[in-house]
Amino acid sequence: MNEAIRMQVSAFVDGELPDNEADLLVRRLSQDADLRQQVSEYLAIGRVMRGEYTVQGGNALRERVAAELEERPLQEPADTVVAKQPSRYVRPVAGAAIAATVALAAIFGLGQVADVDNAMPETAIVADETVSETVPTMNDDDLHQYLILHGYDSNSFSTRVTSLQIRADELSGEAAAEDPEAEDEVEVTEPVTSQP
Amino acid sequence: MLTHMHTNKAAACLVFCGFFTASQVLADAAATPQDWIDRMGNAVQATSYEGTVVRVREGKVETFKVVHTMTDGIVREKVIIQDGNGLEIIRNGNEVHCILPDRESVLVEEWNNQSTLFSTLPSSDIRFGSEYDVLIKDFERVAGRKAAMLAILPHDNYRYGYRIWLDTETGFPLQTQLIGEDNNPLEHVKFADISIQENILASTLAPSYSTDNWKWYTEPRQTVKHEVESDWIADKVPPGFRVVSTLQKTLPDAADPLTHIIYSDGLVTVSVFVAPVTDEKKAGRSSVGASNSYSTVIDDYRVTVVGQVPQITVEQIAKSMRRSR
Repeated sequence: MNEAIRMQVSAFVDGELPDNEADLLVRRLSQDADLRQQVSEYLAIGRVMRGEYTVQGGNALRERVAAELEERPLQEPADTVVAKQPSRYVRPVAGAAIAATVALAAIFGLGQVADVDNAMPETAIVADETVSETVPTMNDDDLHQYLILHGYDSNSFSTRVTSLQIRADELSGEAAAEDPEAEDEVEVTEPVTSQP
Repeated sequence: MLTHMHTNKAAACLVFCGFFTASQVLADAAATPQDWIDRMGNAVQATSYEGTVVRVREGKVETFKVVHTMTDGIVREKVIIQDGNGLEIIRNGNEVHCILPDRESVLVEEWNNQSTLFSTLPSSDIRFGSEYDVLIKDFERVAGRKAAMLAILPHDNYRYGYRIWLDTETGFPLQTQLIGEDNNPLEHVKFADISIQENILASTLAPSYSTDNWKWYTEPRQTVKHEVESDWIADKVPPGFRVVSTLQKTLPDAADPLTHIIYSDGLVTVSVFVAPVTDEKKAGRSSVGASNSYSTVIDDYRVTVVGQVPQITVEQIAKSMRRSR
């Protein structure tokens, strides 16, 4: 993303971009998924750095691009879709509908980051269609334990941090169980400032 | 005269600087992907830095303040998660303290290896050309620094791809993307700002809290861990994966030891956990972030496979596990 686009996006978010330039920006974003990804990250990172969890102008831009995409046949290059892949078990059924949904969701992750304070990753249990008539899910406690152990031996920043987050969450649960009066405090989250 | 001298000096400087810059560009351009990976391997070990890391996945943004130093072969790190419960991770060599400010608790863990937070990549074990291709795609700026973007492209659907932006000056990874099927970024880890410097004050690595009177948990998650020979093998693992380690672990509150077999294709690791069945559950798949898992029952043992690989990979490995004797 070049500086000109960055300035245009900033101006749009601040409501200061002239209409004709805004139209051009929206059209360009609707045609370029890579650029949408870059703009998304640019806005998301800027927001995080400023400690903001919502961005009205960003939402407006997302809605404009979504509207633009709805008006034109979707020709999403295979290598530019940005959002999380829909389940491969769903895709054959949903086909074009899924493709359109992905493209719209891919416009910006912005709409989904309002829950940024929920840092603990949720464990998503997905039913196994081949065994769903037996017992489709596994024990969460076991899975957490395995994720922690896997993380300890992983060489990925993300996996290791996630492993420690899960372990810390587990510890919070243990501490709460030992101290029932402190149960309510589990929900309390306060920003932490690093000391220099 | 004076002006003339200034002009000459400026011209000389321009020529020199221009030559240096051009040389650097040529050197960067001539470097092979393997050169960059070697530089990265050295950089993640030796570079001291502090900065802000942003992780984006599943539509969520998390921010981490990180400090890393390597002194006399000892890794020291501090990671503060800026969101949620404000978890703070302090690492001093092998010892890791997880500080939970909301709970006024400290969890002590042990990491028995020298890997650092950003050792995402790979050893010389990776077989580029067999399971992955690697190429330099672009030069652009990340966190205000010039970076070379490496693309690691898998040959099949059994593994994810990566894009890694390496600082051209040091080789340090400033940004990584995990790329899923159809080139979807599944996860994005990026320095929003970074300061690479040799001398980081020891106080920067100190905990943000006085934890002396807090509750300390020192029982490690795994009480026993040692290499063993296992009679569990996989009949049909995806191409390139092989066993790199087989461990036996005893977990707190567990009656039976847990067998932990680690597979790797040189770039990513996949864990296979085997334990006697203790409940009625049959099978299931799940995901956390870009990690997938699959669990099934084989010969009265629960086999669970976990890894940052596609679901098809963990499922295939799990279903092909069997006892060899």
